[in-house]
Amino acid sequence: MTELRPLIEVRHVDKHFASTGTRALKDVSLSIHAGEVICIVGPSGCGKSTLLRTLNVLEPVSAGEVWIEGVSVHARGARLDRLRTKVGMVFQQFNLFPHLDVLENLMLAPLKVLRQPVASVRARALALLDQVGLADKARSRPGQLSGGQQQRVAIARALCMQPDVMLFDEPTSALDPEMVGEVLDVMRDLALKGMTMCIVTHEMAFARAVATRAVFMEAGSIVWQDAPERFFSNPENARLRAFLGRPG
Amino acid sequence: MRAETSTLRGGWIGHLAAVIVVLAVGLSLYYASRQIDYEWRWERIPHYLVETGGTEITAPFDGTAKLAPDGHSLSLTPLLGGGEPVTVAGFDRIEVSDGDIVFAGNTLGREHGWSAGPLAIGLWMTLKISLVSLVFALILGLVVGLGRVSHRVVARDLAALYVEVIRGTPLLVQIFIFYFFIGTVLSLSAFAAGVAALSVFTGAYIAEIVRGGIEAVPRGQTEAARSLGMSAFQAMRHVVLPQALRSTSPALAGQFINLIKDSSLVSIMALTDLTKAGREVVSSTFSPFEVWFCVALLYLALTGTLSFAVRRLERRMGRHD
Repeated sequence: MTELRPLIEVRHVDKHFASTGTRALKDVSLSIHAGEVICIVGPSGCGKSTLLRTLNVLEPVSAGEVWIEGVSVHARGARLDRLRTKVGMVFQQFNLFPHLDVLENLMLAPLKVLRQPVASVRARALALLDQVGLADKARSRPGQLSGGQQQRVAIARALCMQPDVMLFDEPTSALDPEMVGEVLDVMRDLALKGMTMCIVTHEMAFARAVATRAVFMEAGSIVWQDAPERFFSNPENARLRAFLGRPG
Repeated sequence: MRAETSTLRGGWIGHLAAVIVVLAVGLSLYYASRQIDYEWRWERIPHYLVETGGTEITAPFDGTAKLAPDGHSLSLTPLLGGGEPVTVAGFDRIEVSDGDIVFAGNTLGREHGWSAGPLAIGLWMTLKISLVSLVFALILGLVVGLGRVSHRVVARDLAALYVEVIRGTPLLVQIFIFYFFIGTVLSLSAFAAGVAALSVFTGAYIAEIVRGGIEAVPRGQTEAARSLGMSAFQAMRHVVLPQALRSTSPALAGQFINLIKDSSLVSIMALTDLTKAGREVVSSTFSPFEVWFCVALLYLALTGTLSFAVRRLERRMGRHD
């Protein structure tokens, strides 16, 4: 029954930040199965970004367990770098490589990490740029692009590694309002194509439209999760109701 | 640019005032020097930069000279062993007579033309020792700089110790230690000891520049690289370091200019760099004022050319961003 095995699973995860003395995650468990689109919502500082960052071990956990594609990341000799190639990530601040042009940004990791041949990587990168509507920007530098364009390049860069899961950490929060739409369109497109996604977002309408499961976090814990329809229109949890009822 | 000029006050009158101040200082120095018993002999200086007396041609072995009728070549018969006479040619002026016995290394005559004078040879040595030291200092600085930001405590400790020791002791003392102690123990030549001292000294400063450059690259860059599956080494090599080196290139160029100036201290070893050449020329001309002004100008020409080239390079690189 391999199809039931989650692509990523975290079990009873705790995260302490020693420097600030805060507990960002308290006994959090979550599994992501192939084909799911999970949207994580919650107030600022509730630990949703931290949770997302533990899913590809960018943030090591203080306690609990993380499995990526059935491999425990805590096992001796676990090849974290290898496991991360299966998990794409898109950041709030884009984090494109400013010293490389757009095409080089996409091609760097497939060439250096997967050691794939240049010709096939290049063809895939150009196809992905076309998919996100930036085929004409292949030779531009990130600094010459708008925020929305940069974020679309960042999505294409993560996709160029041909990951099984894509993680999005508030991908539209750093964007001017008029650019939010173009990035959400690319993500909606991706969800329709069947990509497994885990999205931390404040865009409730978008979450409701694309999610297969919605997760509500508060104070480092998962408080409630449900199908998006019930989650947003008829929340059965009082704290979620309060969160959704807040204006904005 | 516009905002910048509007904050400057004075315009061309300011430039004029600066020129007047410089002239005034120069003139008062001139009159002060007139008060002492010193004869300025600037005309001697060019001779020590470029030798116009021609190149000497010396005897390759001990032998008897026999002049050829054309006056531009001679044949040399070996004194011992009775070998065949060898023809030495290319003379513009022969300085031996027919039948003279000469020994290996004796001057046979001269070829016209220009050759480098002692100051030019010293300048070349300064440039050479600076360039060679720069290469080693860059390698050392890069390794130590990476050590400073390493997650391994042993690398951090060693790098910090190195930087503290080198930056906390005078270069002159380091050169003495390299020349007299390390040079003797490892039987290094003066040049090798000089290069070692300058590289180790400059390497410590470059390490700090490299560390600063790496720390200035946003954390998100490393995170993005790691999230794409790169190892820590790959993220450093392909993402962080290229950005760090680009942003620190002005500081690195400044360090190279410092290196050229610091190299004057190796003249205390048996190494004829520009400063040592200056001292030698002073002792043979007794014109210290002219010689030291000339040496200073030569250093200035070297560092000025370099900083000009770096600024050009920066502007070109800046255009690509």
